[in-house]
Amino acid sequence: MTMLKVRGVSRRFGGLTAVDDVSFDVHEGQIKALIGPNGAGKSTLFNCVTGFDTPHEGSVEFKGQQLVGRRPQVAVQMGLARTFQNTQLFDEMTAHENVMVGAAARHAAGFFAAALRLPTALAQEQEAAATASRLLRRTGIEEWADTFAADLPAGIRRLVEIARALATDPSMVLLDEPAAGLNATETAELVETLRRIRDDGVTVLVVEHDMGLVMEVSDEILVLDRGKKIAEGPPRMIQKDPLVIAAYLGEESDDG
Amino acid sequence: MRTVRALAPYLVAIVVAAGPFLTDDRFLLKVLTFVGLNALVIVGLALLFGFAGQVSLGHAAFVGLGAYASAVCSVRFGWPWIVGFIAAGSLAALGGLILALPSLRLKGHYLAMATLGFGELASLAFVEAEPVTGGVDGFSGIPFPSIGGFEFREPAALYWLVWAIVGIAVLLATNLTALRPGRAMRALHGSELGALASGVDTTGIKVRVFVLSATLAGLAGALYASVVGFVSPSVFTVGSSVTFLAMAVIGGTGSLAGPLVAATALTLVQYLDALIPGISRDTARIVQSFQEDVYGMSIVLVVLLAPRGVSGLLKRLGSVGRP
Repeated sequence: MTMLKVRGVSRRFGGLTAVDDVSFDVHEGQIKALIGPNGAGKSTLFNCVTGFDTPHEGSVEFKGQQLVGRRPQVAVQMGLARTFQNTQLFDEMTAHENVMVGAAARHAAGFFAAALRLPTALAQEQEAAATASRLLRRTGIEEWADTFAADLPAGIRRLVEIARALATDPSMVLLDEPAAGLNATETAELVETLRRIRDDGVTVLVVEHDMGLVMEVSDEILVLDRGKKIAEGPPRMIQKDPLVIAAYLGEESDDG
Repeated sequence: MRTVRALAPYLVAIVVAAGPFLTDDRFLLKVLTFVGLNALVIVGLALLFGFAGQVSLGHAAFVGLGAYASAVCSVRFGWPWIVGFIAAGSLAALGGLILALPSLRLKGHYLAMATLGFGELASLAFVEAEPVTGGVDGFSGIPFPSIGGFEFREPAALYWLVWAIVGIAVLLATNLTALRPGRAMRALHGSELGALASGVDTTGIKVRVFVLSATLAGLAGALYASVVGFVSPSVFTVGSSVTFLAMAVIGGTGSLAGPLVAATALTLVQYLDALIPGISRDTARIVQSFQEDVYGMSIVLVVLLAPRGVSGLLKRLGSVGRP
């Protein structure tokens, strides 16, 4: 089954076309990677898919429903969660409270119920707390539960954000550079975490610079360069693709 | 230490409730009633600023709206006090909603600007709408609050009425902040992107908190009008809004206790000469003439040196003696 169906998405900033007529599918149960040199348009595409940005053209269907024009929290409630390249945690809240915010994503707003401590509000509170504890265990960071997010090491911050995304009970998560700032051990653990997420039945789309990680975990890879899709396929095919090699070599010679 | 912290709210509640037994000074009771009125406004602003991170420079306008609404209801329409009280809260809520819906959809400091404009407009309107508000001369002859057949005319009765309503507001706000809405507000304050990605309806939360804080301000205004018996437009200026904001900012973020302590302290400063026997009128006047400068400077100092305000200090005190 096709989880995410992206067709002809374009997003321009002034004269620059950041994403240019990109189409791809993500199938249920897959780990798909989105790679490309810096400035290839990966984050813009991510934002267009998750409702944080609106494409000028094209359509994004998630589980058969149109996503373009919907607000981000609606996408979350439909089952599409995400993390950010620069982690967006709530610094003055503990790791557990951070994840609880995600766990309450599908609960009713409940100002009235909360102010009066109605049984529904208290039951949802317990449920959210239990979900948060479970996901902190699942991502292996339960010992950090009561630490304020501001005091967490970078690697743990990434995992808290992943746990928060999973707490919204998604069918699919989009992870924006989850390995950035992680050391080798943490990266190896992340690989295990990504596999566990997929084994739990959550489809994964991941933007990542760490090629070792991408080649190891992805079922399929999508390559962007200067806003255009230049390749799509299984890792072994992508490694040998002349266009992909040229795009990455080009980037290296720019840097040097 | 933990038990002290857990018991503190009950001790404070008992002392506040016992107020009229501790003093029979009618003036002091009046002053403490005014502390309660400001506290009611500050409960709302603590939610709006301290939890949701939204700045309002126009809350005095909602107090004014509530004050005039209740005055008009009881004097012109002859409605029972409680009806006017509810009408005042509803009108302020409606005002808050009309102001919040367009400005909260925009990002950044648009809300602060919109509330500043609204505050200025409202304080002009209170003067200009003379047939309704009495203009610069104010609105006089407002009856005392009464519920059923009981009229709250004694200072002690007024004190208890106001503080009972403050108590209810504090209780409801405490519940609100302890559960999902409180976390959503703090999340929104911490990272709006993160909140959206966690499924928080950020616009909805902002609108709700803003309307709630406007409602509390309107109720405080209605109480003020009937406690004092007279409403003057000079009370509901942007200057008063800044004072309210100062109480919320100095009180600190993520707390109700901090802003309530700050509201009490900053309200009492205004009655320095009457409260401290022996202090000369001139000394008090000099202190009071610097009041607004002091508020401005304290906001700057708090933001620079102690971003969590009084609540941060309370928390630090609370953790003394704990491992």
